[in-house]
Amino acid sequence: MSGDHGHEHGPADPTAPLHSSCVTDTDAPTFDAPWQRRAFGLAVALSEFDHYPWEAFQQELIGSIGSWEAGSDAERSSWEYYTHWLAALEKVVVAHGIVDEAELAHRVAATARD
Amino acid sequence: MTVEFGYPQEREVRSGARVSALEALLIEKGVITDGTVDKVLRYFETDMTPLNGQKIVARAWTDPDFAARVVDDTPAAIADLDLPIGMAGAEGEHLQAVANGPGVHNLVICTLCSCFPWPVLGLPPYWYKDPTFRARAAREPRVVLEEIGIPLDPSTELRVWDSSGHSRWFVIPERPAGTEHLGETELAALVTTESMIGTALVAAPGAGA
Repeated sequence: MSGDHGHEHGPADPTAPLHSSCVTDTDAPTFDAPWQRRAFGLAVALSEFDHYPWEAFQQELIGSIGSWEAGSDAERSSWEYYTHWLAALEKVVVAHGIVDEAELAHRVAATARD
Repeated sequence: MTVEFGYPQEREVRSGARVSALEALLIEKGVITDGTVDKVLRYFETDMTPLNGQKIVARAWTDPDFAARVVDDTPAAIADLDLPIGMAGAEGEHLQAVANGPGVHNLVICTLCSCFPWPVLGLPPYWYKDPTFRARAAREPRVVLEEIGIPLDPSTELRVWDSSGHSRWFVIPERPAGTEHLGETELAALVTTESMIGTALVAAPGAGA
């Protein structure tokens, strides 16, 4: 058992059980997929090299997770921490003028076709 | 892999494309080089690990003067230890140690996102980022601790520390009884990541968790 399993209950349910492996699975991998690892490295690297302050990324991450938590079970996607991380990364690089939003969208479309 | 973890396959593919596209674009623009991300990841995966936290705890257990200083001014105290270069960066300047003791238990959570003391504990375990754990640990920490095997005596004071960008808390757990004969290196090996978050106690060797 490992990973940010997509589970259905949100924090609004105070009685939801913890995962069976919660806090006992010390060998859990930190990343479930290579893209999560790359997204982590990119966000940290850009901050380390002063392209934005870490707090700017963090605020985007808090915002993305907050929106997910505020949504109803019916309308939101299953929980996966790094989808929020990636969304925050895309927002912060655009907000800081590091890449252009349209240019990034165009490149994503081209990459997805490959 | 994506099937194993139960994430929607389509979203996983899409996320992969988004990350690849962004990194390629940044390299093309000269913002980063093609080795930048790997270099940062290597640093996180080899230098910034719980081994650092284990050494800090073991020193605190064996050196009362250090134990006092590490709580008082964490970055200054750990600067004296032989830990990997760069501990001061990557959020290390915001590290704050809190010590368990008789009648006091500390628990570190992050209700906002998943702030974590990377330099001393490495990357957070997945459950630390889980919305249910984050919400419940904030709302009913005693119940959560009891569920995971740490029933606190009602007289024990429970201090819950909510991490933020400016305060990356970690716990100096209590030294287990029966370890008086152990040296610093042997003591360090007993210290788990969970014990430095406050979701576990440190067991003496052979005592079981």
